Amino acid sequence: MDKETVATISYLARLRFDEDNKEKITKDLENIIEFVDQLESADTSDIEPLANPLEKTAKTRSDEITAENRKETFLENAPDSNEDYFLVPRVVE
Amino acid sequence: MSIQFKTIKELSLMLEKKDISNHELIEETFNLVEKYDKLNAFITLNKEKALEKAKALDNKSSDLALSGIPIAQKDLFVTKNLRTTCGSNILSNFIPPYSATVIENLESSGCISIGKTNMDEFAMGSSNETSFFGKVNNPWGANLVPGGSSGGSAAAVAAGIVPAATGTDTGGSIRQPASLCGITGIKPTYGRISRWGMIAFASSLDQAGPMARTVEDCAILMNQMCSHDSKDTTSLDEAIPDFTKNLDKEIKGKKIGIVKEFDLSKLDKNVVKVFEESKKHYESLGVEFIEVSLPNISLSVPTYYVVAPAECSSNLSRFDGVKYGKRCENPKDLEDLYIRSRSEGFGDEVKRRILIGAYVLSAGFYDAYYKKAQQVRRLIKNDFDDAFKKVDLIMTPTTRGPAFEAGSMSDPIEMYLEDLFTVPANLAGLPGISIPSGYVDNKPLGLQLIGNSLQEEQLLNVAHNFQKTTDWHLKTPDMEIKS
Repeated sequence: MDKETVATISYLARLRFDEDNKEKITKDLENIIEFVDQLESADTSDIEPLANPLEKTAKTRSDEITAENRKETFLENAPDSNEDYFLVPRVVE
Repeated sequence: MSIQFKTIKELSLMLEKKDISNHELIEETFNLVEKYDKLNAFITLNKEKALEKAKALDNKSSDLALSGIPIAQKDLFVTKNLRTTCGSNILSNFIPPYSATVIENLESSGCISIGKTNMDEFAMGSSNETSFFGKVNNPWGANLVPGGSSGGSAAAVAAGIVPAATGTDTGGSIRQPASLCGITGIKPTYGRISRWGMIAFASSLDQAGPMARTVEDCAILMNQMCSHDSKDTTSLDEAIPDFTKNLDKEIKGKKIGIVKEFDLSKLDKNVVKVFEESKKHYESLGVEFIEVSLPNISLSVPTYYVVAPAECSSNLSRFDGVKYGKRCENPKDLEDLYIRSRSEGFGDEVKRRILIGAYVLSAGFYDAYYKKAQQVRRLIKNDFDDAFKKVDLIMTPTTRGPAFEAGSMSDPIEMYLEDLFTVPANLAGLPGISIPSGYVDNKPLGLQLIGNSLQEEQLLNVAHNFQKTTDWHLKTPDMEIKS
């Protein structure tokens, strides 16, 4: 773990850190990754990954309308919106 | 008549006998909230609506199971028209347009939601110190943490403000604060309680559950909280028993496993003493203890700290300042909007976990970390499957020790190890309960029982038999120092 890797993953996660914080976060991540490196000690050859304790396939339901359109309610919750859309700064010039 | 420290069962009886009206009960509850506001257990109160609902109940009798019972809701469950922050700045202005299924289940059974409890930000923490709304104080002592992440819920119940509260448990967030605050809390089998409307942290581990003063009250709440929910694809479609039915059954002949790999000699000797005394007590009730081996258990916390951050980094990508929650001031472009809204909106621990998640999921590291952790997760689950061929339940201390001082644990990994005994049940999806089992320096300490999948009835039965024959759960904190 180095500052460059931290910069890359920070960007992937759309997070930014102050210059004074970068040192600390790099050290923290290094320690945590070192801690989880213990996993290497387990022999996992031929072991299927367990993604979910239930291991059941997700249930589907019939395609029926169950909720009404609540566009206004949801748009009201947005930091910025007009009648139809969430508004963000201009993307295409 | 005081309502402080009363159980659901006792309050229901008081209401039924008209010793107190519904309105008086809720009014008195808010008096207690105010009296103990220094605990900082609540983020948002629901006073007006709660009193309104109580008044309506006084005017029209109801035969609902939990009619008029005040309950505190962890601020991780979305509540329609009532601010829901998840302990985070980024949601500090969020008013949800719908309620979680658990909230609906409890409210339609007559419960009155009195407010939203403080918690570690996005449930990431074991001390409640990561909340944007400030730390919660443990009623058992000045400057002690209540545990986390359901610390506000635990403190509110421990202080006797409410008989019960909801919690969620991803790696111990119900059981660990229950242990540190001297109350009872159960994390059911993964999928028992709907996750619809629970703000997701790590979806394959998250599970809601009740926190209360007694096992019996937890069983009463489980009856209302559990449901099959078509809105949650991981919700179990299994029969839901009456969890109160077998509470009193004799437990003679039950086999309880003690985990060989948990080396208790590393713990404080007083903590070990409490555990040994609980064992002796169970032996006096006819329980047989058998040593079981869970060979991969020591890898639980490292496994958890790959799986949980990976899922969290994915789940928390939805908070981007566009659709709801807080947006930074004057973003210069869309990228700036995302980055600044998230960087200003999340606290340090949440950022740390998002970064770990982004790292273990990134190209080139996925197999070494995420896939590897999921494989070890399978090994841990297999270990439990083998153990449950020999025993009915497994017993461990809930925590390594009693409540610690706020600010005393600054190393993230040291804090992560706080979940040593609780994390395995989440990884394997198993039900676990923490019950008060003794005191060290006048600070409560919990005992954990873990059951096999869907065996909550047995878990509650064995835990209830402990409470029927001990009085640890009846002790109450002296809070003059706090109020």
